[in-house]
Amino acid sequence: MILPARLVRWALPVLLVLLAVLAVAALMSGDMTLSPARTWAGLCGEDSLASTIIWQIRMPRLIVGMLVGAALSSAGLVMQAFFRNNLANPGLLGVSGGGAAGAVVTIAAGWASASLWFLPLGAIVGALAASAAVIVLARRGASTERLLLAGVALNALLGAVTSYVLTQYTGLYERNTQILFWLMGGVEDRTWEHVQIALPIIVAAAVLWPLGRQMDLLSLGVPEAQSLGVDTRRLRRHLLVLSTVLTALATAVAGAVGFVGLIVPHILRLLVGPEHRRLVPLTLVGGAAFVLGCDLVGRAAGGLRLGIVTSLVGGPFFLWLLRKLP
Amino acid sequence: MNALDIRAAAVTGRLLPVSLGLPRGSLIGLVGPNGAGKSTLLQVAAGILPASGQVVWQGRDLAKIPFIERARYAAWVPHGAHFEFGFSVRSVVSQGRYAHGDDEKGVDEALARLDLTALADRSVNHLSDGERARVLLARALVTEAPLQLWDEPLAALDPRHGLEVLRLARTLAAAGATVLFSLHDLRVAHGLDHVVVLRERALRAFGTPADILTPELLLDVFAVRAHTVPGLTLDLP
Repeated sequence: MILPARLVRWALPVLLVLLAVLAVAALMSGDMTLSPARTWAGLCGEDSLASTIIWQIRMPRLIVGMLVGAALSSAGLVMQAFFRNNLANPGLLGVSGGGAAGAVVTIAAGWASASLWFLPLGAIVGALAASAAVIVLARRGASTERLLLAGVALNALLGAVTSYVLTQYTGLYERNTQILFWLMGGVEDRTWEHVQIALPIIVAAAVLWPLGRQMDLLSLGVPEAQSLGVDTRRLRRHLLVLSTVLTALATAVAGAVGFVGLIVPHILRLLVGPEHRRLVPLTLVGGAAFVLGCDLVGRAAGGLRLGIVTSLVGGPFFLWLLRKLP
Repeated sequence: MNALDIRAAAVTGRLLPVSLGLPRGSLIGLVGPNGAGKSTLLQVAAGILPASGQVVWQGRDLAKIPFIERARYAAWVPHGAHFEFGFSVRSVVSQGRYAHGDDEKGVDEALARLDLTALADRSVNHLSDGERARVLLARALVTEAPLQLWDEPLAALDPRHGLEVLRLARTLAAAGATVLFSLHDLRVAHGLDHVVVLRERALRAFGTPADILTPELLLDVFAVRAHTVPGLTLDLP
């Protein structure tokens, strides 16, 4: 780790302050920039225009962004411990892609307009199916090559499904735009309904919180973890469900946002070391801050979508990581 | 009552049915040529490799003991370990206290005992094989488990640390623990309380070294000739 031991305990407070600053910036900035005073007045409901902008447009987007960031980064952390592999993350393994494909099929079939809950349900089913496929593909020990290849295969397959669906609906402009949104990932125009859909992320995070110590042991491999007292069967089942649900919910409200689950746990691990008891809370807060920051950068750059910004940051980071592999 | 009873335990393709009873408070060597099933037997005894038959710890059927409780009774030291994440030496040793509520008890003593105090904050991935083997032994030590199952603990150690680990094993056995460990050095095995000899995935012999490690058996199992002539002998000063 880079940080000296005495500074490590300050990592969480510092990240929380960073998150708060980014949140305030997110509420202030947009098509119409609000001054700090006006933002406050809008929050308190004393300025009706500012209040509408904040409570109807910026607050839902802010909350969805934070939840998505927390969900994707912690899902990445869980997958890395589960597969004992630094590179595992929802995007690489195709779990995000599965969620997106599920969402796309739901939209294309017209179910999404029948009920607000069918879309996240479709995303969850897609993500679960992709998770199951990864587990089967990587069953005999999850070596880096196996995981990468499983991810490549799965992502290609899911891409084919999505492309097929897209070509079937070339005439329906509105549906295709909706579908493209899920493929590129973003948090603009999110409403309180989306916040509602994403809220279970908080429950999943709360369940994940106390599992950090067991994740340390699981990262040593199943036999060692068992010999040290971990019921690995139960733990692995919990972690698999958690990472899938976290990824699926995030995908259901923001589409396939890439690389968050890779970058955030990595940077934090470099800073504070590999112990998951420490990493779980840091990843949740750090992931929220990262997505919020990327969304702000995208907005400042003239409306770049969140998924594009995270990929622009994440792509080079991933290549840099690959270079460091033995 | 025995510390460990293995009853007709077998693993398909890796171990033919083995029955064995290990007494408490003894230091037991597990020998056999490469591929004889030593690691498999240790993992079966530790309850981390499913096997047919039955494994009994102090009269209790292992299958009925929850994992967290198992970890307080038996410690397993793998032969070489891969760490995907660079935990510090101290943090790895502390993992041995997980089943005791992560109380860190005995961690400093174990680090000192295995000559790791100076390396405590180092990442396990930046250690030599021998140093890493000592980290795993220190972790097994802090579990305070009465059954210690070590897979080739001496393989990577220098002579000095090898002798210290042997002395540690002897101290544990004297205090009532049962230490079963695999090794290749038959001269070391000759000085232990009991020896288990495996050959071609089956139990070949079990007993005191004097009774078991006869020239005939060594020739049969290892295809080596045994001589009792004075040579170089090492000891702790």
